[in-house]
Amino acid sequence: MTATEPAPQPVQALQAALAAEHAAVYGYGVAGAMLTGADQQAALTDWRAHQEARDTLEAMIVKLGATPVAASAAYELPFAVQGARSARRLAATLEDGVTQAYLGVVAVTDETLRTFGALAMLPPANRAVAWRGSTVSFPGMGDGTVPS
Amino acid sequence: MLAASATTLPLFAALTACAGPDPLKGPPPLSADVRALFSAVTAEQNLIWIYNRTMASYSALAPALTPLLAEHEAHLAQLRAMIVEPPGRSVPRTVTSKPAVPGTRSAALAQLRAAEQSASTTQLRRLAGASSALAQLYASIAASEATHVTVLTSGSGH
Repeated sequence: MTATEPAPQPVQALQAALAAEHAAVYGYGVAGAMLTGADQQAALTDWRAHQEARDTLEAMIVKLGATPVAASAAYELPFAVQGARSARRLAATLEDGVTQAYLGVVAVTDETLRTFGALAMLPPANRAVAWRGSTVSFPGMGDGTVPS
Repeated sequence: MLAASATTLPLFAALTACAGPDPLKGPPPLSADVRALFSAVTAEQNLIWIYNRTMASYSALAPALTPLLAEHEAHLAQLRAMIVEPPGRSVPRTVTSKPAVPGTRSAALAQLRAAEQSASTTQLRRLAGASSALAQLYASIAASEATHVTVLTSGSGH
């Protein structure tokens, strides 16, 4: 009925989510520096949310007996961030990346983790909409469309 | 002769065990995956119906609601695409919930928000036991519906 690919291992999926959260924490530092006023305040709030999510994932990974992936010293940004407009676009892109990573957690067979992944998608999907100003049909699925 | 019997008997037993469903008893029961997909299809059809009726009653809402409706139509198309119709069963096409459109615009929006929230929550209940691909589709649609609740509540944008 559907294409069947082997489900990812829980630790592997959580590590990918953690890597996305690390990237978001870094990226919001860049975006926030380019924003002012309410946008900067929103970036600060979102940056803190990603720090909390990062800490949650690290604790989950340790509990599963693995070593959480560390943040990189620096990240290559997907495009040049030179002002408020590109900073908002970066924030939306970071949220898309985090949403996509949690969708990877939904693919595991463990039902508790699967539900965790699905619920963890909701805040970044909403934040992406707030930064972009528009919704997508399929949050977490790349460009918002389902791969065929 | 004795050797022939030894091979024939298990084959006979296998053929008996593999006898198809009794056609007089109707189609076989739906698998859990198909049942979940059918209910997800019906839920999307119900949402699309509410959007269409709300826009018919409050045309000023059309610019805001049209993109959200288009996303539900995309969800429905994708859910339908995941289904191979079992013999004797077809994908549901009927709307099962047709609430009246409330008399004020704000109440109509509140009804849409509630419908989206309910649909998103129900979507998450379909995760258990689903294949990885279907679970991801349900989770993505649930997230989409959650963003619709936010947009319907406050508009979007920082």
